[in-house]
Amino acid sequence: MSKVLIATDWLAACAGCHMSLLDMDERILELLNHVTFTSSPVTDLKHPPESGVTVGVLTGAISNTHNIEVARRMRARCTYLVAVGDCATFGGIVAARNLVGTSAALKRAYIETESTVDGRIPDSPELGRPLPHVTGVGEVVKVDIFLPGCPPRPDDFYYVFSEVLAGRIPVVLPPQHLRYD
Amino acid sequence: MSSITLTINGQKVSAQPGQTVLQAAKAAGIDIPTLCHHPALAPSGGCRVCLVEVSGQRALQPACTFPVADRMEIQTESPKVVRARKFVLELLFSERNHFCMACEMSGGCELQALGYRYGLDHWVYPTYTQRFAVDASAPHHLLDHNRCVLCRRCVRACAELVGNHTLDLRRRGAHTMLCADMDVPLGESSCVGCGTCVEVCPTGALVGKRSAFMARPSDVARVATVCTQCSLGCGLNVVMHRGQVLCLESRWEAPVNGGLLCRRGRYEALQDRRTRLLDPLNRENGRSVRASWNHALAEVARRLHHGSPHRLGLLTSTRLTNEALALLHAIFIKQLRVARRGSFGDPPWLPPLPACGKLADIAGGDLILLVEADPAREQPVASFFIKRAVDRGARLVTVESRPTELAAFAEVSFRPRDMAIAVDLAMAAASPVVIYGAGLRKSEADLLQKRTPKARFIPLVPGANTVAAAAHGLIDRLDPADCSCLFIAAADENGALDQTAARISPSAFVIAMASYVSPLTERADVALPMATWLERSGGFTTTDGTLVRAHAALPPSGQSRSDWDILGRLAERLGLDARAARSELPRCDA
Repeated sequence: MSKVLIATDWLAACAGCHMSLLDMDERILELLNHVTFTSSPVTDLKHPPESGVTVGVLTGAISNTHNIEVARRMRARCTYLVAVGDCATFGGIVAARNLVGTSAALKRAYIETESTVDGRIPDSPELGRPLPHVTGVGEVVKVDIFLPGCPPRPDDFYYVFSEVLAGRIPVVLPPQHLRYD
Repeated sequence: MSSITLTINGQKVSAQPGQTVLQAAKAAGIDIPTLCHHPALAPSGGCRVCLVEVSGQRALQPACTFPVADRMEIQTESPKVVRARKFVLELLFSERNHFCMACEMSGGCELQALGYRYGLDHWVYPTYTQRFAVDASAPHHLLDHNRCVLCRRCVRACAELVGNHTLDLRRRGAHTMLCADMDVPLGESSCVGCGTCVEVCPTGALVGKRSAFMARPSDVARVATVCTQCSLGCGLNVVMHRGQVLCLESRWEAPVNGGLLCRRGRYEALQDRRTRLLDPLNRENGRSVRASWNHALAEVARRLHHGSPHRLGLLTSTRLTNEALALLHAIFIKQLRVARRGSFGDPPWLPPLPACGKLADIAGGDLILLVEADPAREQPVASFFIKRAVDRGARLVTVESRPTELAAFAEVSFRPRDMAIAVDLAMAAASPVVIYGAGLRKSEADLLQKRTPKARFIPLVPGANTVAAAAHGLIDRLDPADCSCLFIAAADENGALDQTAARISPSAFVIAMASYVSPLTERADVALPMATWLERSGGFTTTDGTLVRAHAALPPSGQSRSDWDILGRLAERLGLDARAARSELPRCDA
């Protein structure tokens, strides 16, 4: 039997979810008997293969237009999309920006910060444009499995992957694997 | 009344008529989730989390308000119920900021626990973006509207338990907001700062400032003890986190106060910033120097043995435990026969009648006669009981020589010379409750008791463990100037220290037990470090005569010892059996 392909990517994220994924320790080796990680932000290959994967993992919130592109690309190339972490499920800490508004947040960060001299809000056409509201991934693309947590613990990742590999989809998180913090 | 039988989730359950479905299920060990419901408050059926399926009912019904009936069939976790409950939770999560990772209550939040229980792994409705200001204007607690789910627990606690009616909701629907009085900041409102709203809040909307973000609610331990801020003897829990006191919390099953605390008891009791007395001090060649307990107690015993009893004085604080007061009686009255004894607090006052009523009896009274007492200032929790009774329809009649806060709630207020009219009013009531303070004279008390035999009498004595101190004959007037040797147990009464120190004769030998450094410990020839109220266990006799027990939450700081420990050791040095003195103590009720 061929291995199940998994690709991960991140949006507006702190990388904590990927750290927690790696924190599965030696269980990653066991997992690798059954799956192949095709690409991830922490490997040389960054983008999910055009030929597609079975499981796509997204961490981070939808904060700018670039995030939407990345989320849509992953959605298009995977069979099951897993939104991982509070940012991907609810908007998380990134959504704190909603409470002040995008322009006020940018002004504060790039111009008004006490240590800033001659600050300027970045506007390169290569950058994604910040959205008026930060949301979870589910408001942009269809998500099959949600795994909240800030970050989800390694055990929670392992549980979700085990369920997916066993074909128990949709995954129902029992209380011991469901955390909002 | 005969019980009725109903079926919950296929299980036969017997219940009493008049019970709610929630009560019947709870009694049968069936857990129905709730959010706006709180055991200390009347059910309101507002949040719809407890919805259940009831046979014969077209719609789902809230278990907290729906009365049971014979042969009723109830489903508490059927697919229909679970679907509705998840929908209710999704709506609750759809308004305001419920990001748990930055919330003080995460781990102890009832909304979060419900989300986990029903597997809410994402939000169905768009992310909420409106922000509200945090009201931090009150001294000890803050209100974060962003975390509020409008369950009205705080509103009901403020009205039903405290009788204060400060909190309420304004506007309607999605615009509903919690507000104080006519929408003023909490700090400018009629809030009395008792923190009952903080206690009942299921989320992180109302939190104590001192304890917020200091510990996960799951990472604390609790020690049941008794407040010594006044003579009510309210039970409370000391919440401990890694050996430190985090905050003080309601203990709903406490015998006297039933969970209510006042601002002094819940918050200010932890704000003592005085310097602790940590070592025994002994004066040598005019200088106070650190001494061992052995040395200090030997010196005290020598002085007490050899001094003349009629020039020996004992000054007692009413914050001591029953054990310590019994030992003071054994040492100073029985053994040393000290004639000069007195207590802090002026004037010394004792109830002219034996207590024949409990604080809880206020709830059953149809007329409250408040005589020369100002509980709103002196024993605030008692004032909550009175205001609750007034809300319920009881009449309040006050007799006062100085204006009191509760007079505003009174049907009529009399001057002391019109006592007879007030007594006549009480006579006409079915079950009058007489609550009286330091100003009630013996003649008036006799008159009251003679003419209103069915009345309950509840004294509100000043100080703290005053009833026990009086029972041991320790309450009297003492002029420190008359003593050549003065034993002070204990010298921590704020406000009375300078005045007392000034009255002590320069040649007198002064022994002071104390928790804190003060003019009295500085004047003392021997100072004995004493554990604070958080550091000692012991009995306490409340103003209504209930015996309650305090439990130490912390070990004594430095070399300090519990009041009864110090006096027990002293008694042994004087050849007394300390255990015998303490064994005469009555057992505590709770």
